[in-house]
Amino acid sequence: MLVLIVTNLLLLGFSQLKSCIRTVACQGIALGVLSLLVNEDGFTVWSVVMSGVVIGLKGVIFPRLLLGALRETNARHEVEPYIGHMASTLAGFAALAASAWLCSRLPAFPGRVTPLVAPVAFFMVFVGLFVIVSRKKAISQILGYLVMENGMYVFGVVILREMPLLVDLAVLLDAFAAVLVMGVAVYHINRAFDHMDVDQLDTLKG
Amino acid sequence: MTASAFLWALLLAPLAGGLACLACRSARAVLRATVLGVLAAALAAGICIWMTRASGSIAAARGWLYLDALSAIHLLVMMTVFTTSSLYMHGYFQPEILDGSLSLKVARRFSALWYGALAAMTLVLLSNNIGIMWAGLEATTLVTAFLICIHRSSESVEAMWKYLIICSVGVAFAFMGTLLAAAAANGLHLPASEALLWTRLREHAGEFDPVLMKAAFVFLLVGYGTKAGLAPMHSWLPDAHSQAPAPVSAIFSGFMLNAALYCVMRYVPLVEEASGQAGWSLRLLLLFGLVSMVTAAAFIVFQHDLKRLLAYSSVEHLGIIAVGLGLGGAGTFAALLHALNHALCKPLSFFAAGRLGQMYGTHDVRTMAGALRAAPVWGKALFGGLLVLIGAAPFAVFLSEFLIVRAAASSGSYWTMGLFLAAAGIVFVGVLQRAISIAWGDPVMQPHAEQAGAVDKTLVLVSLGVLLVLGLWIPGPLWHMLDDAARIVRGAP
Repeated sequence: MLVLIVTNLLLLGFSQLKSCIRTVACQGIALGVLSLLVNEDGFTVWSVVMSGVVIGLKGVIFPRLLLGALRETNARHEVEPYIGHMASTLAGFAALAASAWLCSRLPAFPGRVTPLVAPVAFFMVFVGLFVIVSRKKAISQILGYLVMENGMYVFGVVILREMPLLVDLAVLLDAFAAVLVMGVAVYHINRAFDHMDVDQLDTLKG
Repeated sequence: MTASAFLWALLLAPLAGGLACLACRSARAVLRATVLGVLAAALAAGICIWMTRASGSIAAARGWLYLDALSAIHLLVMMTVFTTSSLYMHGYFQPEILDGSLSLKVARRFSALWYGALAAMTLVLLSNNIGIMWAGLEATTLVTAFLICIHRSSESVEAMWKYLIICSVGVAFAFMGTLLAAAAANGLHLPASEALLWTRLREHAGEFDPVLMKAAFVFLLVGYGTKAGLAPMHSWLPDAHSQAPAPVSAIFSGFMLNAALYCVMRYVPLVEEASGQAGWSLRLLLLFGLVSMVTAAAFIVFQHDLKRLLAYSSVEHLGIIAVGLGLGGAGTFAALLHALNHALCKPLSFFAAGRLGQMYGTHDVRTMAGALRAAPVWGKALFGGLLVLIGAAPFAVFLSEFLIVRAAASSGSYWTMGLFLAAAGIVFVGVLQRAISIAWGDPVMQPHAEQAGAVDKTLVLVSLGVLLVLGLWIPGPLWHMLDDAARIVRGAP
C-alpha cells in the first residue's frame, strides 16, 4: 500500500523521464505482489500465474517499451511540466486527501480488505489524470495512463476478488495493446514533427 | 446448437478475413477480399438477427455470448454501415491505387485494421459479460487509431494522438464504472463465472447497492460518453473525423459512436431498477443530450470544413439519441429508430464528402460551390444526405425527430422540447445554407472530373431510397424488433 502511495508522489516529483518510467515499473511490481497477498485462499496456481503476468507486464515489458521509445526519439529527456515539481507534489497530497474524503462518502466496500484500499485506488486514478493533463511530453501521458490503469487494477483485484480470470486477462491484454499502440504513436509523432511535445499539437481547432 | 455456431461464426469471420487479406498479392485484391469478407460477416449477422426474432434471444459459450433485440438492432446498424462503407471503399481508393500511393503494405494494414475494428465492435455487441464488453470497446479505440492516419500527414498524426489519449482515458473511466457496478452487485455473492454477466445482473438489479450503482453510472456515462462524442467530452471527434479517410469517418460516425452509447443503454435498466425507477439515470442522459445538441449547433454555424461540419452533426445526432433515451417511454423507441436512420444517412454524407474532397483537393465548403453541376452523382448524394440529416420532411430522420418531440410534449417536458427545437432549428438553417451554396453556388474552381461507377450510383440511390421509405413506412418485423429493444432499455421484463 505504502509503496503505491510513495511511487505516485515520486512520479510527481522526478524531473527525468527515465526515473519516472522506473518509478512506474516499481509500482507495477508492487501491484503484482499485492494481488498475491490479498488472495485469501492462499497461493493457488492461478493466482501465482496472474501475479507473475502482472509483474512481467507492468514491471518489465512496459518500462522496456517506453525506454525503447525514449531512446528512439532524440528529445530532451526531461519532463517539462506546466506545473512545477513542488506544486505537483503538493497537488498529489491534495489528491490523497480528496480521495480519502470521497471514499468516506461512499458506502463501505464489501470484503475483508484494509480500509486503505479504495482511497489509494482513487488516489492513483487522480494522479494519473493529473500527470496526463499537466505534462508536455507524450511519454509522460502514457505514464499517466498507466498509473490510472494501475489504480483501477488495485480497485479491481482487491475489492472484486471474484473477477473472472478471462476478464482479468482481457483487461491486461488491452493495457498491453494500449501501451504498444501509444508507443508506436509517439514514434510517428516524433517522425512527423521532430519532437514529442503535445502542447505543440495545436493545428486542428474549431 | 446452430444458434451458437452462428454467433461464433460472426465473431470469428473478421479474424479469418484479416488472415485472408495477408495472403493477397496486390492492393486491389486486398480491397476486394475485404468487401467479400464483410459481406460474408453481414450474412452471418443477418441469420443471427433472424434467429433472435424467432426466439427473443440466443446465447452461446455458457451465456457469455448473448444476442437479444437490443444488440440485434445494433448489429443490424453495424452491418449496414460496414457493408456500405466496404463497398464504397473499393471505389474511394481506386485513384490512390492508380497513382501508387496505396501500396500493398498500406492496403494490407488498412484491411487488417478494418477487420479488427469489425471484430472489436462485434465483440462489444455479442458479449454478455460487462467486463468483456468494456475490453471490446477499448479495443476499438486501439485498432481504429491507426486507421485515422493511413494518409500520413502531421495533422492526421495529431488527430490520431488526441483520439488515442482522450478516448483511452475516457474509456478507462468507464472501466472504473464497470468495477463500481460489480462492487454494487458484490452483496449477491454470484459465482465468479457469472458475476459480471448482464443477464444475471439484470435479474438481481433490485438488490444492488443504490449509491454505488449511481456512482458507477456517473463514471460509465462520462467514460462511454467520451467515446460516443457527447459534449463536453467530444473534443477528439471533429479532429478524428475530419482527418480520417472517408470510409473510416463513415464507420466512426455511423456506428462506433453508437457502440459506446449501446454500452450505456445496457446499464440504464440496471441503474433504474437499483434506484427504484426514479428516472435518475434518464435525467442525466437528457442533460448530456441537450448539452451536446446545443454545443453542436453553436459550432456548426461557423464551420467551413465539410467533414468537420459532418462531425459536429454527429455530436448533434448522438445528442438527439441521448435525449430520446432520456425521455423514456415512446422516446426510447424513437431514439433507437433515430440511431438506425442516422447510421444510414451519415455514412452517405461522408462518402460524398470524401469523393468531392478528392475532386476539389480540399474540404472547404466555399471552394466546393456549384458541385451539383461538376459532380452529378456525389453532388446529389451530398445534397440529399445533408437534407436528410437536418430532418427535411418526408425522410426518416424527420420521423424519428418528430417522435422524440412528441414524446417530450406528451411527458410535459416543455423545456426539453424548446431546447431541442431551437438547436435543431439552428442546425437546419446553418446546414441548409451551406448545402445550397455547395449545390448551386457560383463555381470557384474547376475540379477533377467525377468518376462514379455502377456500385457508387446504386449505393447512393439505395441509401436515399431506404431513408425515404423508412420515413413513410416502417416494416412490421423492424418495428417489432425496435419495440422489443426499447422495452429492454426501459427495463420491462
